[in-house]
Amino acid sequence: MAAASSSDSDGGRAESSEANSKWLDAHYDPMANIHTFSACLALADLHGDGEYKLVVGDLGPGGQQPRLKVFKGPTVLSESPLPALPAAAATFLMEQHEPRTPALALASGPCVYVYKNLRPYFKFSLPDLPPNPLEQDLWNQAKEDRIDPLTLKEMLEGIREKAEVPLSVQSLRFLQLELRDMEAFVNQHKSKPIRRQTVITTMATLKKNLADEDAVSCLVLGTENKELLVLDPGAFTILAQMSLPSVPVFLEVSGQFDVEFRLAAACRNGNIYMLRRDSKRPKYCIELSAQPVGLVRVHKILVVGSNQDSLHGFTHKGKKLWTVPMPAAILTMNLLEQQSRGLQAVMAGLANGEVRIYHDKALLNVIRTPDAVTSLCFGRYGREDNTLIMTTRGGGLLIKILKRTAVFVEGGGEAGPPPAQAMKLNVPRKTRLYVDQTLREREAGTAMHRAFQADLYLLRLRAARAYVQALESSLSPVSATAREPLKLHAVVQGLGPTFKLTLHLQNVSAARPIVGLRVCFLYNEVLYALPRAFFKVPMLVPGLSYPLETFVESLSDKGISDIIKVLVLREGQSAPLLSAHINMPVSEGLAAA
Amino acid sequence: MGLLDRLSGLLGLKKKEVHVLCLGLDNSGKTTIINKLKPSNAQSQDIVPTIGFSIEKFKSSSLSFTVFDMSGQGRYRNLWEHYYKEGQAIIFVIDSSDRLRMVVAKEELDTLLNHPDIKHRRIPILFFANKMDLRDAVTSVKVSQLLCLENIKDKPWHICASDAIKGEGLQEGVDWLQDQIQAVKT
Repeated sequence: MAAASSSDSDGGRAESSEANSKWLDAHYDPMANIHTFSACLALADLHGDGEYKLVVGDLGPGGQQPRLKVFKGPTVLSESPLPALPAAAATFLMEQHEPRTPALALASGPCVYVYKNLRPYFKFSLPDLPPNPLEQDLWNQAKEDRIDPLTLKEMLEGIREKAEVPLSVQSLRFLQLELRDMEAFVNQHKSKPIRRQTVITTMATLKKNLADEDAVSCLVLGTENKELLVLDPGAFTILAQMSLPSVPVFLEVSGQFDVEFRLAAACRNGNIYMLRRDSKRPKYCIELSAQPVGLVRVHKILVVGSNQDSLHGFTHKGKKLWTVPMPAAILTMNLLEQQSRGLQAVMAGLANGEVRIYHDKALLNVIRTPDAVTSLCFGRYGREDNTLIMTTRGGGLLIKILKRTAVFVEGGGEAGPPPAQAMKLNVPRKTRLYVDQTLREREAGTAMHRAFQADLYLLRLRAARAYVQALESSLSPVSATAREPLKLHAVVQGLGPTFKLTLHLQNVSAARPIVGLRVCFLYNEVLYALPRAFFKVPMLVPGLSYPLETFVESLSDKGISDIIKVLVLREGQSAPLLSAHINMPVSEGLAAA
Repeated sequence: MGLLDRLSGLLGLKKKEVHVLCLGLDNSGKTTIINKLKPSNAQSQDIVPTIGFSIEKFKSSSLSFTVFDMSGQGRYRNLWEHYYKEGQAIIFVIDSSDRLRMVVAKEELDTLLNHPDIKHRRIPILFFANKMDLRDAVTSVKVSQLLCLENIKDKPWHICASDAIKGEGLQEGVDWLQDQIQAVKT
C-alpha cells in the first residue's frame, strides 16, 4: 500500500484530482461517433464571426464512411461525405483581403479539397506520374482487343511483382476484381489513358512571407512518392518540390516560405529528415531507434514520440537532448500552446487512458480519460481560448476547458534531474602539484596500476598467511575444530585498580556437550595479579553462554596497561583450542590516587 | 453632504445611490442589458466588447444605480475582484445558449462567491439567464441547475430569464434587486 502510493506520488501531484483540477469538464459525449486522429482535427473561425469551429476529417466507423464534420460548441453544425479517407486537415488564410476568414484544406487521396465558408472552393490534384510503359503497352493491347482479360490480369500481376514503377489505380482495381466482372471493367476503362497518381500522407501549413498570426500561409504536402510539395496559397501551383529518402508521415514546419524555413519530416523508415529553404535534399537526419508515432515542435525543440513508449527531444540540428519514458504506448501527440502565459507543451495520449502534458521533460499534468484518446487538439474553440478537444477510441468526444486561474507548474518526482545534481561541489583549485601528478598519472598509468596490483596481491597473501597461522595455532576466539566448536568473548568491567574480567564461553555445536576444558590466563606478573590463573570449566551444554568471572588487580601505579591472554585448553593437550587477547584498560583508580 | 442634500434625502426627493457590479463571461450581454436599462435617449445604438470596464448610471423608481460594467473577456476577469468591496449588489449575466461555457460561468461564479470580500456579506445577486430569444437557449431553471445556484444559502439571489435585445425580463430583475437593497438598508 505504502509502496504503491509512493510510486504513484509523482503522478498524483501533477494529476488532476476532482477538486483542484486545472480543467473544467465542458462536454463529454461517448456516442459522438468520431473516429479520427490528431492530423485530421483543426480549429478555426470559419465564418469570421468570432466563434471558432472544430473541423473533423472523420474516417467513419471502421474507416467505411469518411465524412467532413464541423462542430459548433457540442453540436454538429454540418456534415458532408468525402470521396476518400482524409489524411490531414488544416486551416489557413488564402489572401490578405477582408474579411479574413480562413480556408479549410482537407487532404484526401491524391487531392486537397479547399473549402471557403464551408463551401467547396478548389480541388488540387497531385500531378500525374509517368506510368509504367509495360502497363501502358498492355492496356493499349487491351484497347485493340488483342489480349483477353485473363492474360491481362496475369501480365499485370507479373508487373506488380517485380516492376520498380508501381501500377496505376486502374490496374490495381482491375486485379481485385472477380473473373466475371473483368470483361465489363476492361470494356469500360480500356479507352481511358491510364494515370498514375500518388497519395498525400501528411499536410502542414507554412507562412508565406509574414510571421504574423493572421498571415497568408502555403500548404506543405508530403506524398507517398517520397516528396514534399509547397503549394501557393492563391493559385495552388507547386512552389517548391523536395525529395526524401522515405515516405513522410509527420511534418513540422517553421519559418516563412519567402524568407527562410525549416521542415522536419518523420518518415516510415524511422528517420526524421530536416530540410531548409534552399535544400532539395535533407540537410540533417535523425535516426530513431524505433518508429515515430508523433512529431511536435515546441519552440526550437522537436519532440518525437516513438513506439518504444518514450518521448525524445531533439534540436533542429538533430542533437538528442532528452528521453522520457511513458507508462504506456503513445497513441497520439499534439502541441498545447497557452498564449496568455506563453507556454508551449506537448500533449501525448496514451493507451492506458491518460493524457500527459510535458514541458521539455517535466511532467506538467495528467488527465485521466474514460477511454484511450486517439486524437488531441488544443486551442480556441467557441469563444474560449484554452480548450482541449479529445476524441477517444470508442468514438467519444471530450471537451475540457483550462481554468483561467490554472498555472502549470513542473511537479517534482521524476521531473528533471535530482536536486543533488545541481549542488556545487567544493572542488579544490588546480595546483601545480596536482597538474604534475595528473601528467605523471597520464604518462605512467600502466606502470602505476601494475605496481598497485602487485602490492594488493602481496597484501592479500600476507593476510591469508596470517589467517592460516592464526587458525593453526588457535589464536582466534572461535574454535573451528569439529570436536570442540567454541566461541569466546571477554568483557572487562571496572575502573581499577581491581577489574572484573568476565569470559563468555559458548558451545556452538548442535547437540554435543563439551567436558574437560581448562582456562589459563597468561599475563605479566609485575603488572597484574589474578586469584586463579588456571581453572576448570564446567560442562558446556550446547547453545548456552557460560559467564566465567575472575578478578584482576592492577599492581602498577604508573598508569601502564598490558595484554592478558586467555587460552582455552583441552585436558591433556598443550595446544590451545582457542585464545583471546584482552587489552586491559588503564587503571584510573590509581592514576587518580 | 450639505444640508440641502440631507433635506432632499429625507423628503425622498433625491434617490439613494447604490453601486452594482455587472459580471459575466464575454459575449453574455452585460453591456446590452445595462444599455437597455438606461433611459431611451441615453442608449447607444451599437454595442462593442467592453475593454476593462465602464461605469454607467440609471435610475429605478426609488434608487439610483451606479453600475460597474466589467469586461468579461478572460484577460480582464482578474479585474473583477478589485471592485467587490464597493459593490452593494451583483448582477451576473449568463449566455443561456452557450452550453459549452456554462462550466466556465460556474467556475467564475464559484470564484466570486468564495472571494473574502464577498463570502461573508449578505449581498444580493441577480442572475440574468440572457439570450432567451436564441433557438438553442436553455431555460432559466436549467441554467440555475447547471450553475448549482441552490447551493447559495447565505445570500439572497434571483434568476430571471431575459432577452436583452428586446428588453424582456430586465425590469422584473431590477425590481427584485431594488427590493432587496432596500430590505438590507432598513
